[in-house]
Amino acid sequence: MSDQQARKPAQPLQAGSIALPMIPWGIAAVLLCILPFIFTNNSAITIMNQMAITIIFALAYNMLLGQGGMLSFGHAVYAGVGGFACMHIINSGDFFSGLPLPVLPIFGGLVGMWLAIIVGAFSTRKAGTVFAMISLGVGELIAACSVIIVVFFGGEEGVSGDRTYGLPFFGVEFLQQIEVYYLIAFWLMLSAILMYLYSRTPMGRMANAVRDNPERAEFLGYSARWVRFYSFVASGFFAGIAGALFAINYEILTEENLNTTQSGIILLVTFLGGVGFFFGPILGAIVFTLVQTVLSLQTELWGFYLGIIFVATVMFFPGGLAGLIMMHVPALRLGKLGRLGVPYLKTLLPAAIGALGAAALVEMIFHVRHAPNGDQEMTLFWTTFDSHTILPWGIATLVTVVGFGIMRATAPALVEAWNEANTPDGMSE
Amino acid sequence: MDLILVNLIDGLVTGLLLFMLSAGLTLIFSMMGVLNFAHASFYMLGAYFAFQISMALGFWMGLLLAPLIVGVLGAGVERYGLRRVHQYGHVPELIFTFGLALLIEELVQFIWGKNQMPYEAPEILQFTAFAIAGNSIPAYKIFMIFISVIIFIGLLWVLTRTRVGMIIQAALTYPKTVEALGHNVPLIFMGVFGVGTALAGVAGVIAGPVLGTFPGMAFVLGSIVFVTIVIGGLGSLWGALVASLLIGWMTTFAKSYNLRMEDLLTWLGFTKPENIWDSAWRDLWTITSPQIADILPYILMVLILIFRPYGLFGKRDA
Amino acid sequence: MTAALELDGLKKSFGKTEIIRGVDLSIGTGERHAIIGPNGAGKSTLFNLITGRFAQSGGAIRLHGTDLAGKAPFEINRMGLSRSFQITNIFPKMTVFENVRCSLLWAMGYRYNFWSMVGRSRALTDGADEILEQINLTARRDLPAGVLSYAEQRALEIGITIAGGADVIMLDEPTAGMSHSETDYIVDLIRTVTEGKTLIMVEHDMGVVFGLADQISVLVYGEIIATGTPENVRANARVQEAYLGTALEDH
Repeated sequence: MSDQQARKPAQPLQAGSIALPMIPWGIAAVLLCILPFIFTNNSAITIMNQMAITIIFALAYNMLLGQGGMLSFGHAVYAGVGGFACMHIINSGDFFSGLPLPVLPIFGGLVGMWLAIIVGAFSTRKAGTVFAMISLGVGELIAACSVIIVVFFGGEEGVSGDRTYGLPFFGVEFLQQIEVYYLIAFWLMLSAILMYLYSRTPMGRMANAVRDNPERAEFLGYSARWVRFYSFVASGFFAGIAGALFAINYEILTEENLNTTQSGIILLVTFLGGVGFFFGPILGAIVFTLVQTVLSLQTELWGFYLGIIFVATVMFFPGGLAGLIMMHVPALRLGKLGRLGVPYLKTLLPAAIGALGAAALVEMIFHVRHAPNGDQEMTLFWTTFDSHTILPWGIATLVTVVGFGIMRATAPALVEAWNEANTPDGMSE
Repeated sequence: MDLILVNLIDGLVTGLLLFMLSAGLTLIFSMMGVLNFAHASFYMLGAYFAFQISMALGFWMGLLLAPLIVGVLGAGVERYGLRRVHQYGHVPELIFTFGLALLIEELVQFIWGKNQMPYEAPEILQFTAFAIAGNSIPAYKIFMIFISVIIFIGLLWVLTRTRVGMIIQAALTYPKTVEALGHNVPLIFMGVFGVGTALAGVAGVIAGPVLGTFPGMAFVLGSIVFVTIVIGGLGSLWGALVASLLIGWMTTFAKSYNLRMEDLLTWLGFTKPENIWDSAWRDLWTITSPQIADILPYILMVLILIFRPYGLFGKRDA
Repeated sequence: MTAALELDGLKKSFGKTEIIRGVDLSIGTGERHAIIGPNGAGKSTLFNLITGRFAQSGGAIRLHGTDLAGKAPFEINRMGLSRSFQITNIFPKMTVFENVRCSLLWAMGYRYNFWSMVGRSRALTDGADEILEQINLTARRDLPAGVLSYAEQRALEIGITIAGGADVIMLDEPTAGMSHSETDYIVDLIRTVTEGKTLIMVEHDMGVVFGLADQISVLVYGEIIATGTPENVRANARVQEAYLGTALEDH
């Protein structure tokens, strides 16, 4: 391993090369353009809009969590307040009618940034637990203010408006969902590129340094506090953009955009996606939005499943989805990724079946406990049955036990295959 | 004057309840460096378990058994969850306890549903202890104060007078040294986590009948508890006590005296705008103290952080 | 000429215990100064006082004639004083190259810059590669610093310390925990990379001290009992009595 590295000649980065790897970004841009032609119905576009907004927000959040090592439990307020400010601009009449809608997110960003400057002034003194607690308290404070400062937050019913009153942008009035889609897609591309580039600037690099070792960074001439502060402000800016896009897309903001649940969701999305890589939060936002849409239609208990997945991720895969994917890079480099296919199938397929069986049991328990009296019929996996008879319980238990049983039996083979796939040929044991 | 006394008692109940949570949280934090985000969830579990047990065996068995179960669960969480996550660092630990809080809330909804449980104080305590100027003080409140005080005295005694307490105090500051002396530090950690969560469980058992036993109860109290220990200074037991009582009395008094911002502003020499409902300042003018009682702790926290970043009793470098 | 670093009646107490009990020391520009002393003499505390990690209880520290009182570590660093740590203190998750590049940023004037791409600056890349060349870690350039061997990490630590171009370099036990051959390697490394700079080091290994230093101060119980050239210190009776004993005769 080490001599192999030594033989490889050093390849200095070519100074002057473009800092953006063009291929993945090009693919992303093309995908964003053609997706509405593939998924043409309105609900798909609604989902994609939501996904794009979540991606921006998650990337902004990861500027703190992944890049800067700061855990915030109240980041929704920066997006939310940015969104509320944009709602007021939309409702401002004269000013808005002279403003093209696509420019609006800048204002959202600036408001988010302004709030981050105020809060960051005292919250970024310390990282870690103290920062997390302060972020929670400030988040709660602002969320609670939403019912008191009615002028700005609109109280219980929130603030709503009509985006089409803006200055038409090359004739587009943003009446249609698809027009809004392209507006959001443009801002997604722009924000993602800017956030990526930010991570390549001296500030972005020092954010990593302060995350890993704040004390050492101080002895390199940088004040850890100021580095944290700048990361926080930059993150607030992009969160504000996400909030503005939310305002444009839904034309209403309420207390729900500010509260801790919202902040918790963005933490969940980012962590599930993986905080260690730039594309992690993107992946997290896409998967989360899809899963949420699909699961919440199927089951009342989706929050429960999500909680289990989240806790399991923190315990066993702290790198998230992105970490799981990147784990396979060494095997890919060795050209042995293909050898994992069959062992994976042998272990993960039974595991999935077992998990479905367990979920069926959970659903049945829930039904027995909480269905109204006399309602004994339930539908699960396109099958309707009586939840008070033995047979369905037997089947579900059997599927669970057999599924997990096979998984346990085949797991050692998978581990072996994994080790084998990550060992260069000719370097056995 | 009489009303002040009533409020003092009410505030004391709230404050002691907060302290029962913040004491366990502080103990766990100063020992293991982990802020247990799910602490209030154990409080909720305490209430639900006690409710379930009280259905079968009565309130007193609930008071006895529920905290024990919660403590064992807490120890299990430390042993099989937290200890594993510990290797990844502090931030994943925090995220883990946060995820746990989510999961416990979902679990409670899964088992007991979303509605409030009919968990009530035992009949033997459902009478008026005494009345002050027409305000009756229920016996249950006196009972709550009584239980909390007993537990604190017990806790104080264990920490300062017993061998185990000495080892815990030493392990707080010098875990490595204590381990080198042959004590099983991981076991102590697990024990402290169990006791801390059991304390939260007790709080849940006695608060459930008063504040309501419903899936949101952890969240309602949880964020206030975190604010409490930030105000008191992370890791300081005395700070937690002072901050708990301060918050208890502050919110109680703010709720019972209807102080109006209008009066304050007028007193300061401002004049009320004529068309108050069209004014941008209308929210400022119409604020009353009961309205902001629940956010006072957060405001206090922000002020403390600005002027005394390490909290009331915290060490500068904590 | 003002001294590079001047300590004037420096004191530090933790609670009631006085660890540093009035240290006066003047270190000239370009000097290689070693501070030695038995365990618990306060050497590391002295280092932490000078670099702003702790606040002093009394006395003054002057860097090139400027008082350092109340200055934070990052401010002291910007004034041209850089230090290494006794326990290896690098950025373990970042690559070796990134480690060095980060330590160049402030000195190259980037400050809190968020509009230039670090990858596009030839000066930055070349500067970092040059340092890597000096500390012989070019082959390890793209590895995460955390996977390097102990000696390599120590070398990297020295690289990070000198990268910012500080003219006063403070090394806290640079050879602690190293084998003989590793020690020889690091000593050579220190000699080349601190060429023409003021070097202040705490060290236990007498071979390293007498090989590198041209001035030695002996710190015992928070006081300096002798300062001078290696020969003078070696001959000083008080030093022999208090600390060195017969160990010195062997060298």
